[in-house]
Amino acid sequence: MTLYTSRQIGLNGRHGGMIAPVIAVGGCDLHGPQSALSPAGVGAEQISSLFWWMAGGAVLIWAVVIGIALYATLARPRKKHDVQGARWLIIGGGIVFPTVVLTILLSYGLMLIPKLRSTGNVDLHVAVSGEMWWWRVRYTSPAGEPVELANEIRLPVGKRVSLSLTSPDVIHSFWVPSLSGKVDMIPGRENTLILEPTKPGTYRGVCAEYCGASHAFMAFRVVVMEPQDFEAWLTHQAQPAVSSGSPSARQGEQAFLVNGCGACHTIRGTAADGRVGPDLTHVGSRLSLGAGMLPNDAQTFARWIGHTQQIKPEVRMPSFGMLPEEQLTALATYLSGLK
Amino acid sequence: MFRLARHLLHLIVSPVLNGGRYLIAGSWKRGLALLVTLALAAVVGGLMFAWLGLASVSARSGHWPVTEWFLHMAMRNAVETRSVSVKPPLTLDDPKLILKGAGHYETGCSSCHASPGKGQSLIVQQMTPMPPVLATRIKEWTPEELFWIVKNGVKFSAMPAWLAPEREDEIWAIVAFIRKLPELSSEQYEHLALGTSASGWRQNQEAGLLKGLDDPLGPTLANCVRCHGAKGEGRGPSTIPILAGQRERYLLESLEAYANGERKSGIMQPIAAALDDQTRRELARHYASLARPEPAARVSEQTEAIQRGETIAQYGVPRQGVPSCAHCHGPRQTPRNPIYPDLSGQHADYLTLQLELFKSQKRGGTAYVHLMHSAVRRLTPEQMSDLAAYYAAQTVEASQ
Ligand code: HEC
Ligand code: HEC
Ligand code: HEC
Ligand code: HEC
Ligand SMILES: [Cu+2]
Repeated sequence: MTLYTSRQIGLNGRHGGMIAPVIAVGGCDLHGPQSALSPAGVGAEQISSLFWWMAGGAVLIWAVVIGIALYATLARPRKKHDVQGARWLIIGGGIVFPTVVLTILLSYGLMLIPKLRSTGNVDLHVAVSGEMWWWRVRYTSPAGEPVELANEIRLPVGKRVSLSLTSPDVIHSFWVPSLSGKVDMIPGRENTLILEPTKPGTYRGVCAEYCGASHAFMAFRVVVMEPQDFEAWLTHQAQPAVSSGSPSARQGEQAFLVNGCGACHTIRGTAADGRVGPDLTHVGSRLSLGAGMLPNDAQTFARWIGHTQQIKPEVRMPSFGMLPEEQLTALATYLSGLK
Repeated sequence: MFRLARHLLHLIVSPVLNGGRYLIAGSWKRGLALLVTLALAAVVGGLMFAWLGLASVSARSGHWPVTEWFLHMAMRNAVETRSVSVKPPLTLDDPKLILKGAGHYETGCSSCHASPGKGQSLIVQQMTPMPPVLATRIKEWTPEELFWIVKNGVKFSAMPAWLAPEREDEIWAIVAFIRKLPELSSEQYEHLALGTSASGWRQNQEAGLLKGLDDPLGPTLANCVRCHGAKGEGRGPSTIPILAGQRERYLLESLEAYANGERKSGIMQPIAAALDDQTRRELARHYASLARPEPAARVSEQTEAIQRGETIAQYGVPRQGVPSCAHCHGPRQTPRNPIYPDLSGQHADYLTLQLELFKSQKRGGTAYVHLMHSAVRRLTPEQMSDLAAYYAAQTVEASQ
């Protein structure tokens, strides 16, 4: 199996910023594609600096309080403190000092909120729907047409992007630790998350709210690109599918239609117009397969189609392992060629 | 010989007497020990009796009256107690249920239980217990009890259990039919269970619609015709499917699935299992080559149910996770996998029943059946009947 291991995923990201330093001490990678501690977006930067300030404040309070405690028990001052002085040490060091530090941190944290939540000045809107157990992604093409994609989000660096987050089934939570905090996707409600990526690169996002058997296999890639590359990418994604046209690919296209894959999947430019599963128009161009589960190559396509249920528990796509071997191969050739 | 018998008698009687005496005399422990010994002796004696082959298993003599009384008492009470939790469907007077039950009664019950106009076989009359002429017994039981008997059969008698216990809908069809048995004339029975009356059979044969008995398929088809109609056109509105014009590969693999138990039906499994590979192939070819009858309703009528069904069939219900049906079942321009059955013009009641069975995973089918499990999982009962109404009104030409 080429499933991503927890090490590749980066434990630090999965379990959130709070325990990350503990693991970091143990030698884990702070700079993985899914780490809240190596921010690549404005939201994540704020969260990360808040985290470091919080950690600093906590260390400070801890040091002062423990310092006074050690002083009280171990130190042997030549001249004893009078009662008044001792009381000041206790009240000052144990109550006043921590209260002041915590109040400052709290105010700082509260001050960040409006900025994190402000939805003004957005350059791009993307709709993301969390579905058991994959992501439906809707862009508006440069020509103004809606473009439906899946399991991968690409963003222009330095632009403010507004994501509207929904779910048709159960509660999911959208989280790209490197870019921002997480926001729940709640059936019957639309939540907004602003992303403002600052560093080009490929990041990993996950569902952060238990949503059923394959919750742990519900991930996606976020690729932050230079704006002109992004434009080119989106223009290409808005185009109908282009198949390589090799005999095997043509046989695969035929098998796709004949076996009814089109009941659930759309491949623009063909008769397949199903809307239950991910759009596959350019599935071969994605960085992963099965919502972040498998690498994207012809072998994994064949495995996915033939062993869907074994690979992803309870997945809402039936396995097509009963198809003849050559049809599976042809399907894999065709789909992996849809760049 | 006589002395031996006296000895044996003494051996058996004296401990009893002694036991009684000891009990009376107050030494109850010794008495008990004796009684236990006695009980053991009886068990061992019984075993010896059977082992030496002295027990009569002959069916000729019937049961002793006491055995018969005991067995029937036990059966009656067991059925009564165990059928408490059985819930009957809304209507047992539905002619569609009765028709379906009648067909199977002729296949699987009449040989033992007789049928109107046809007395009990002499051979069956030599059985112990002898299967009753069912018409005379129906009044004795509630529908729930009949259901329990037909589903589970009766031990220590020849009454068989239902082959596919998950298909309770079929069992209710049998119950619906046997409740009508007492009032049926032989003509009515013949109409229900044999379909074509003798004259109709001849007409059909003359018109070349039926293979003659000299054709290798003839005798087999004579059986299929009872339920599926002379031209595979099905029988009226019912849950017995139309076979005419169905796709050959689907027919063949369905018959194989019945035969090897992958598709569950107490009615079709025994029939399909009795056919050899060659006959199954020929039957599939035969039915695929017949013309599907015109549907009773038309899509162009556009009743609300048909309209709703058409929308789901064409586009699915994506937010509910329901795929479109048309990509696999038509109507579409593009070719479809030949194992995906044609639904156009099929009886609506049959389609609804199959969708319910897929949803409860009780149907089974070919190696492709799990596709249907995922397709129907989130359909509501109303959507199922809308879809059935739509496909039942679809003409075959339109679906290809
Ligand atoms: C009943 C609906 C249904 C049918 C039929 C179906 N699929 Fe899918 N498919 C899905 C769903 C839902 C997913 C998303 C699964 C997930 O990741 O949780 C999916 C995912 C996929 C993916 C991965 C897409 C990605 O972005 O990673 C591929 C490839 C795919 N299907 C190919 C096929 C092929 C080929 C067929 C026909 C042989 C087919 N599917 C038939 C529902 C279906
Ligand atoms: C091989 C012979 C045989 C076949 C076939 C058979 N039965 Fe029976 N059936 C019996 C026998 C024997 C009994 C009597 C059991 C007893 O005496 O307790 C019985 C009893 C019954 C009874 C209870 C009647 C009563 O009052 O004791 C019902 C109801 C019944 N069968 C229905 C059916 C139906 C319906 C079928 C067809 C699906 C069927 N049987 C097939 C042999 C058969
Ligand atoms: C006693 C009545 C009866 C007889 C006789 C009978 N059938 Fe059936 N048949 C049925 C019923 C009822 C069904 C539906 C079963 C179900 O729900 O799965 C059925 C289903 C079928 C199916 C599946 C159709 C589909 O659309 O899935 C095939 C094929 C079939 N029968 C062929 C035959 C052939 C061939 C014969 C003769 C050898 C035959 N049947 C004899 C009652 C009968
Ligand atoms: C991916 C392909 C696929 C899709 C989508 C699909 N089906 Fe099916 N359907 C099948 C296959 C394959 C069978 C045959 C199952 C078997 O018996 O093994 C079948 C069988 C059936 C049957 C039973 C036919 C008979 O004669 O017994 C009905 C009814 C049916 N489908 C209705 C529907 C409806 C309604 C929908 C849409 C909600 C639908 N199907 C969607 C593939 C599909
Ligand atoms: Cu989840």
